[in-house]
Amino acid sequence: MLSAVTDLGSIESTVSKNLPVVSIHQLGLCLSRASASVLNLNCSLILLPMCRTLLAYLRGSQKVPSRRTRRLLDKSRTFHITCGVTICIFSGVHVAAHLVNALNFSVNYSEDFVELNAARYRDEDPRKLLFTTVPGLTGVCMVVVLFLMITASTYAIRVSNYDIFWYTHNLFFVFYMLLTLHVSGGLLKYQTNLDTHPPGCISLNRTSSQNISLPEYFSEHFHEPFPEGFSKPAEFTQHKFVKICMEEPRFQANFPQTWLWISGPLCLYCAERLYRYIRSNKPVTIISVMSHPSDVMEIRMVKENFKARPGQYITLHCPSVSALENHPFTLTMCPTETKATFGVHLKIVGDWTERFRDLLLPPSSQDSEILPFIQSRNYPKLYIDGPFGSPFEESLNYEVSLCVAGGIGVTPFASILNTLLDDWKPYKLRRLYFIWVCRDIQSFRWFADLLCMLHNKFWQENRPDYVNIQLYLSQTDGIQKIIGEKYHALNSRLFIGRPRWKLLFDEIAKYNRGKTVGVFCCGPNSLSKTLHKLSNQNNSYGTRFEYNKESFS
Amino acid sequence: MGQIEWAMWANEQALASGLILITGGIVATAGRFTQWYFGAYSIVAGVFVCLLEYPRGKRKKGSTMERWGQKYMTAVVKLFGPFTRNYYVRAVLHLLLSVPAGFLLATILGTACLAIASGIYLLAAVRGEQWTPIEPKPRERPQIGGTIKQPPSNPPPRPPAEARKKPSEEEAAVAAGGPPGGPQVNPIPVTDEVV
Repeated sequence: MLSAVTDLGSIESTVSKNLPVVSIHQLGLCLSRASASVLNLNCSLILLPMCRTLLAYLRGSQKVPSRRTRRLLDKSRTFHITCGVTICIFSGVHVAAHLVNALNFSVNYSEDFVELNAARYRDEDPRKLLFTTVPGLTGVCMVVVLFLMITASTYAIRVSNYDIFWYTHNLFFVFYMLLTLHVSGGLLKYQTNLDTHPPGCISLNRTSSQNISLPEYFSEHFHEPFPEGFSKPAEFTQHKFVKICMEEPRFQANFPQTWLWISGPLCLYCAERLYRYIRSNKPVTIISVMSHPSDVMEIRMVKENFKARPGQYITLHCPSVSALENHPFTLTMCPTETKATFGVHLKIVGDWTERFRDLLLPPSSQDSEILPFIQSRNYPKLYIDGPFGSPFEESLNYEVSLCVAGGIGVTPFASILNTLLDDWKPYKLRRLYFIWVCRDIQSFRWFADLLCMLHNKFWQENRPDYVNIQLYLSQTDGIQKIIGEKYHALNSRLFIGRPRWKLLFDEIAKYNRGKTVGVFCCGPNSLSKTLHKLSNQNNSYGTRFEYNKESFS
Repeated sequence: MGQIEWAMWANEQALASGLILITGGIVATAGRFTQWYFGAYSIVAGVFVCLLEYPRGKRKKGSTMERWGQKYMTAVVKLFGPFTRNYYVRAVLHLLLSVPAGFLLATILGTACLAIASGIYLLAAVRGEQWTPIEPKPRERPQIGGTIKQPPSNPPPRPPAEARKKPSEEEAAVAAGGPPGGPQVNPIPVTDEVV
C-alpha cells in the first residue's frame, strides 16, 4: 500500500506541476502505474513463504534467537494468502485503469510525439490494441491464469477437492513467465535528450499552441490532448524562463523494473525446489509397517543423512499409489544420534491412504499388529521430502508447555515425547502438560506404551511432575473404561467426557505463577479457537499463556 | 484425480465471473463509452449469474460448507427443477450470456471468465454431476412425554419389566380381538422383601 501511495503521489505531483488540469487518462495512467508497483512488490514477496526448507532452516538455526521472530515464521501461510489477495485486488485496479488507458490511447493519438503512442493510428479499436500488442496479450493471459488460480484457492475448494487447488496453483510458473514478457513491451518511455530539449522549451519553427504540454523529464510519459488541456500561454511564459529547443525529443524505453523485483525470489524458489528434488530423489528403506486400532498405520524407515527435529513433518510420495500426489505427515519418531530410524503414523482416510495401506499391508493381515518379516521385500518405493518446520518445535523451548491433542493430532507431540524419552536435559522444558482427547478408547493404544515408558522414566529419575498426562474419552458407550490391563498409569489418568478448559487453565496458572506457558493444539478448529480465546484471557496469577497456532489447509 | 467434483470449482468460477461482469459493466456505463448499453447488459447478466450461482450444491461425499444466507436463494433455484439441476443447461446458459459482453472492451474479461466457467460446467455435466440443494436438517423436536411409555397397569408391588412385558403383549393381542377381561394375575409370585 505504501508503495502505491508514494508512487501515486510522485506521479501526480509531476503531472500537476506542469498542467493545471488533470484529465481522466492521467488518472488512469497514475492508477495503473501505482497498482503495478504494488503488484511488483507482492509478486516478489509471495514466493518467499513458500521456500519451506529455507524457513525450516531459519527456525532451527541460531541466527534467529528471538522467540517472537520464530513465531512470525508460523504465520507464513497467512502471509502468502494476504499477498495473494492483494495481488488479486490490485490486478483488478490495474486492468481497469489500463482498459481506460487503451481507450484513451486510441482516441487521443498524438501526431507530434509518434513514439509515445501505444496505438498505431488514431481511433484504433482498443480491442485490437489489447490483443495484438505484447503487453496486452500477456496481460489478458495473466488475468485468465490468475482467475483460474484464485477461484480454485477458496477455502471451500481446498477443504473438499484439494487436488484442484494444487494442480491449478502450479500454474504460477506460467504466470511469472507471462509477467516477465508483459513488462518487456517497452510501453513506457523516457526522454534521452533532456539537455537539448528540456521540458517547456519553445520550438522556433512551430506554433506555440503545440508546445504548451510537453513531456516531463521524469520516468513517466504520456501524451495529452492538445486542444482540451490548453493552459494560458501568456501565464506560462510569464512565470517560467523559457528555453529554445535545439532538437527534437528522443525517447527510449524504460528498463522494466519488474525484472529486478521478481528475479531474486524466483531464483531463490527455483533453487529451493531443485534442492528438494535432489534431496528427495533417493527412496527410503522401509523397516517395518504396523497396523494400529482405529485405522492407523505406522511406518518405520531409514534414510541416509536424514536429520529432523521433533515436531517437524515430511511429505510422502509413492509412485505406485499416485504419480503426482504428495501428502504431508508429521514425524512421530525422529532420528537420533544412536538410532537412525524415524517413523510416521498415518490415519486411513481418503483414497490415497487406503491404496497405500493396501500396498503395504495385504488385506489378510490388516488385523494383526506386526507384519511378518518375509513381506519386507515387496514394499513399494517411497520417497520423502522434508523435513519442514512447524510451530510444535517450539514446545521444547518453553519452560512450561501445554500440549493439547485431538485424535490423530497427537502425532507432533509423539515425536516430542519420544525425544524426551531419549534425553530431556538439553532442552529448556521443565514441565509438560499433555492432554489427549479421543473419541474411541482404542485410539489411546497408539502411544500407550510410549506414555507409560515416559511416566516410568520420570518416576525413576524422581521427577514425577515433569509430564502431567490427562486422557479424555469424549464419546463413550459406557462399556470400555480402561485402555488395557497393563497400562495402570494411564487408566488412572483417563477421564470420561470433554475436558473443562477453563478449570484446566486456572489450575495451570495457579501452579506456574508468573511464568510463560506455551500452548500448542493439534486438533479440530473448534478446539483450537477455544484454546486461543482462553490463552488470551488474563488470570489473577500473573501467568502468561502464549498460543502457538498451526495452520492447516 | 478420479474423485474430483468439478461442479464446485465451476460454481466458484461462475460466481467470480458474475462479479467481474458487474464491475466491467459499471466501468462501461459510468464512463459512457461508445456502445455503453452493452455495459448495462453486462451488469444485469452479472447480477443474474451471481444470484443463480450463489447457493452451493451438495457434495456427493462429505459435508458441504454453505455460503452465508444461501438458503433463501436455494428455495428459489430449486423451483426451476431440471433447468437448474442439470449442468448441461447451466453450461449452455453461461456460454450464451457471456457472448454479448464480449463486444465491449470493459467487459471482455467477464466474457472470458464466464466462458471458462461454462466449459468446466460442461465437464461436470459429462461426468454426470447434478445440483442438489442443501436441505436444512429437520430439527428433532424434543418430544414432550415421548419417553413415557404406557403407564403401568398393576398397582405396586410390581414384577420386573421383563415379566411385565408379557402380559401387556397378551393384552395387546387380546385387545385386537376383544376387550381385556379378568383381574390381573401376577406371573411371578411377589413377596415383600423389605428388611
